[in-house]
Amino acid sequence: MEWISRSVPRIGALERLRGMPIFGGDIQLEDCLVLRVLRSHRPHARILELEVEEARKIQGVEGVFTARDIPGKNLIGLITKDQPLLAQDRVRFVGDPVALVAARDEESAQRGLEAIRVRYQDLPAIFSPEEALAEGAVAIHQEGNLLHRRVVRKGDVASAMERAAVVVERTYRTPHIEHAYLEPDAGVGYLEWDGTLVILASTQNPHYDQKEVAGLLGLQEEKVRVIQAATGGGFGSKLDLTVQGFIGLALYHLGKPVRLVFSREEAYLATPKRHPLTIWMRTGADSTGKLLALQARIVCDTGAYSSYGVAVATRAAIHATGPYQVENVEVESLAVYTNNPIAGAMRGFGVPQVAFAHESQMDILARELGMDPLQIRRRNALQEGSSTATGQKLGSSVGILECLEALEPHYREAMSSWKGSGDSRYVRRGVGLGAMWYGIGNTGVQNPSTARVELDEDGRVTLFTGAADMGQGSTTVLAQIAAQVLGIQPDRLRLVVADTARTSNAGASSASRQTYISGNAVLEACTKLAQVLLTEASDLLRAPKDTLLLKGEHVADSRDPQRRVSFMELARRARKKNIPLSWQGYFDPETTPLDPETGQGIPYATYAFACQLAQVEVDVLTGRVSVRRIVAAHDVGRAVHPEAVKGQILGGVAMGLGFALMEEFVPGSTASMKDYYIPTARDMPEVLPIIVEAAEPSGPFGAKGVGEPALIPTAPAILNGIADALGERVYALPANLERVLEASIRAGHFPDREVN
Amino acid sequence: MRWAATYHRPSDLTRALELLDALGGQALLLAGGTDLMVEMREGKHGGSHLVDISRLPELKLLELKDGEIHLGAGLTFTEILGSELLRLHAPALVQAASQIGSLQIRNVATLGGNVVHCSPCADSVPGLLVQDARAILQSRGGTRDVPVQEILVGPYKSGIQPGELLTRFSLRSASGMWGAFHKLARRSALAIARLSLAVLARHGDEGLSDVRIALGSGTPVPRRMVEVEEFLLGKAPTEEDLWEAGRVLASKMVEVAGMRASTVYKERAAQGLLVQAMMPLVRHGN
Amino acid sequence: MNMHCQEPGPCGPIPVRFRLNGREVSLQVDAGQSVLHLLREKLGLKGAKEGCGIGECGACTVVVDGVAVNGCLMMAAQLDGREVLTVEGLESPVGLHPLQEAFLEHHAVQCGFCTPGMLMSAYALLARNPQPTRDQIVEALAGNLCRCTGYEQVLKAVEAAARRLASRSGT
Repeated sequence: MEWISRSVPRIGALERLRGMPIFGGDIQLEDCLVLRVLRSHRPHARILELEVEEARKIQGVEGVFTARDIPGKNLIGLITKDQPLLAQDRVRFVGDPVALVAARDEESAQRGLEAIRVRYQDLPAIFSPEEALAEGAVAIHQEGNLLHRRVVRKGDVASAMERAAVVVERTYRTPHIEHAYLEPDAGVGYLEWDGTLVILASTQNPHYDQKEVAGLLGLQEEKVRVIQAATGGGFGSKLDLTVQGFIGLALYHLGKPVRLVFSREEAYLATPKRHPLTIWMRTGADSTGKLLALQARIVCDTGAYSSYGVAVATRAAIHATGPYQVENVEVESLAVYTNNPIAGAMRGFGVPQVAFAHESQMDILARELGMDPLQIRRRNALQEGSSTATGQKLGSSVGILECLEALEPHYREAMSSWKGSGDSRYVRRGVGLGAMWYGIGNTGVQNPSTARVELDEDGRVTLFTGAADMGQGSTTVLAQIAAQVLGIQPDRLRLVVADTARTSNAGASSASRQTYISGNAVLEACTKLAQVLLTEASDLLRAPKDTLLLKGEHVADSRDPQRRVSFMELARRARKKNIPLSWQGYFDPETTPLDPETGQGIPYATYAFACQLAQVEVDVLTGRVSVRRIVAAHDVGRAVHPEAVKGQILGGVAMGLGFALMEEFVPGSTASMKDYYIPTARDMPEVLPIIVEAAEPSGPFGAKGVGEPALIPTAPAILNGIADALGERVYALPANLERVLEASIRAGHFPDREVN
Repeated sequence: MRWAATYHRPSDLTRALELLDALGGQALLLAGGTDLMVEMREGKHGGSHLVDISRLPELKLLELKDGEIHLGAGLTFTEILGSELLRLHAPALVQAASQIGSLQIRNVATLGGNVVHCSPCADSVPGLLVQDARAILQSRGGTRDVPVQEILVGPYKSGIQPGELLTRFSLRSASGMWGAFHKLARRSALAIARLSLAVLARHGDEGLSDVRIALGSGTPVPRRMVEVEEFLLGKAPTEEDLWEAGRVLASKMVEVAGMRASTVYKERAAQGLLVQAMMPLVRHGN
Repeated sequence: MNMHCQEPGPCGPIPVRFRLNGREVSLQVDAGQSVLHLLREKLGLKGAKEGCGIGECGACTVVVDGVAVNGCLMMAAQLDGREVLTVEGLESPVGLHPLQEAFLEHHAVQCGFCTPGMLMSAYALLARNPQPTRDQIVEALAGNLCRCTGYEQVLKAVEAAARRLASRSGT
């Protein structure tokens, strides 16, 4: 195939290499006002008084807005609408927006902000889910502090545990994590001549932004236009409204161009984080290492507002078994409100956290049974026809065994020759495995994508897609799919991307869904257009359709390629006959909703699988961990753009390494980039990505997805590596200096020296 | 961002000192800017007078004279790293320089700036302390020559008087000595030291004839650990000796810093760090 | 070179003169204004980015007198008499700089926000060390954070650019 499995030049790379002003904070509008948000510094409080008149009078200030100034509905949220754009009468976390200032320049905006008077009356503040669920705890939201409870139940766990030869029970903890995308949230807005509010923003889901802003302002959706500006990474954080609502509000009242650019400090304070999870897990296996039962209780701290909390709790529950067949499952997963920062979508939605748990469990089981960690995974790996924890029978695209096989030679080599050849007594080497599975698309709900392709009378093809590319490369992949179907070079395609006025909804760029879902929508649209072209050409060339092929913007007779007709000519002919040249595609994965009591159902139409291997060196005297090598085998169905897939894996491994060893967002303490460590180039090991392709029949050319899977196995593999090196485990992330040294001491590697 | 009111760039040291004298406490020295700009972003220093000393030739001194190394306070860490002279005569300091910040930071951040900021975690300070570095402070009124330790009054509190400019450091040459600097941090670049250790040692006939150790990030200001030095002096250390030295180090550290949340980790890690840092001395044999 | 404002007291903006991407620039800057702010807000050059504003991410890296610096930490006034290169100055009328070409070929760009900073750090490296080892490349780029790529393709691109530049200059 000409355009699939090919690493074509990335669309959009050139502009970025040249430093063109395409990001939200780069866009310059004339006479643009500056926006600033006043945020609560109290974690939980009633607003007794909010006085903005003084601020309004400050020179240079053109408007100060509060909840009273929101003309539509002052409630937003991706799943549950429980979050005000501006606090109504109560604030629920430090950073909760209270007022919006629009001014002529930064200095006036700052002065305006400082002139706003707020009086708070503190309410009891809750900082842990346990406190939030306790009897008598203050209700953060009207319906109580439990946002969501998801149960996945199958078989008979109690009796299965009794039959088990070994039962392992542990508790695992993960902290708040910050997305730390390089581009702080930013956007601008202006009024179109016809009164349309135009917002250009860093975002992962422009159509959602449009809908939400329209709702806030009480406008018809068509009166709000959201165009995705170049987005410097999102990783889930740019799904919620960040700047868009404020820009819309200011535009609505002032009608003047406005911009809102978060400082890094504000991005840290105000935007969602990864959910901290506490996972209690109990796994039982028989003497051959076959998993018999899994029990888990998962508690997710969803913070002040719901954001994607429901999805995270649900995904964590569904994926808790790991990519293994387990007949008896009992998982309860809770998303709980607290007055901590909002926890929302972050690459993996709860699965990175739960994978740390299930993969640690597998290694502990292996050790207790005297089994090889690779072997125990192989023994239990899901296959075609396997039944998952939600009772779904898997189809043919199940590549976990292939991933394990791909790793095997590396694993054997690492265990046999690398591990033993360390030269320092106080630096111990360990090898760890981490496996994962990940459902593609939103869980058990409709999440369709649409796309449109159009041929004009000059024979030029334009692809319209609402899919937001935030660096993962969706635009290029979609262009390749279109190119393949239509026989046209990707760089000859005209592209209109992520503009609500011109593209229809492709759904959010999240859940690793764009290649699979938007890819199918593009495939359908282009296939329809191709049919029209083939039909016309067949008529013109007097050749049967099945002998024709599309190539080089022509339709040619495969038996005699000189006999061909250009797209331009076909377009003109079709136009004369009134045959449409604009075709829409639509795709929605086949899922079924999960049963509310048992969680049984078909949450995803397809799953990605992976396993990674980590070779680590642990300094037993200081707790320093050095990752020397990662081998990452990922089943992506089909790598439409192999280098982009590798890029995702390489980037995911970096993020996973940070998650494993150095990242921890501490609310109230982590304020700026010097407080939060993501890996630098110097922290990265050698990484070998291996692409495994277990083709997904329902995927475009067999493709599934890789964005989130890339991240998930890394921390489990590294933590298993540390345990292998030390003989003792770390049960909380990050495995930082303190925790690793503590494990080293526990394991007896630190010669006992009382300090007194 | 609060911007300073004025900016001055004196063309030579004399003019700089005159300016500092006139401005007194209102003067803000701008060398590399890596600490200053961060503070200004936090809202500090509004209305101050920036005095740009980044190009003063007198602060770029680098020479060996009579067994003493003289280093201009305005030398950047890149310049320090590139100096063969310093590699020979101040090995611990050079190793420390390579672990500061990032290349972009090292290209502009100065030795003087790092010292004067008085962070407990300043990476350059232990390397200076092990060479009995002295700081030369000049003002319109005269010159003061003080041990660097005296400038480190407390965390972020320097002993430099208004009107004074730290112009250079004088170090006893460590030529012929073995030197090392170890930094324990949460990642490999752009990281604040959790603990750091600078060591200089010389082997004599009967054991270490000279040994100097300075600890960073373990106490309110970095300090020489004389007690550890005394323990090791004259010994041809075995690993057991190093462990004992580590115990002394950790004990002294806790005594000076008091019990803190980080003590559980640091008291062990300090021992471990010392053993690791000085292990090459054991291998060199007796 | 003597500056105005020798006397303490409020004073107007500071005239600076420097070379920017090969052209003479003469303008007035404010005390305390950073190089990054000057480039982005006054000179319309949006390539250098503010990722953190405190020198911890390198997205604002520009090259001053041949050396990579964080634009957010340097004062605009300090540019006086200096030679400044930004990403906009890398390309020539005939085309992209070999570094840019190499980044393209090696798929070193994902979201692109860190890219200008990476390019400038790499440029400064190759200017002083045309045949760097992998370790030296890592050292030069360790101050440029990236959350998307995991760095590997960027490092490969720099290696490739070094080879290409070396073969062009016949070394």
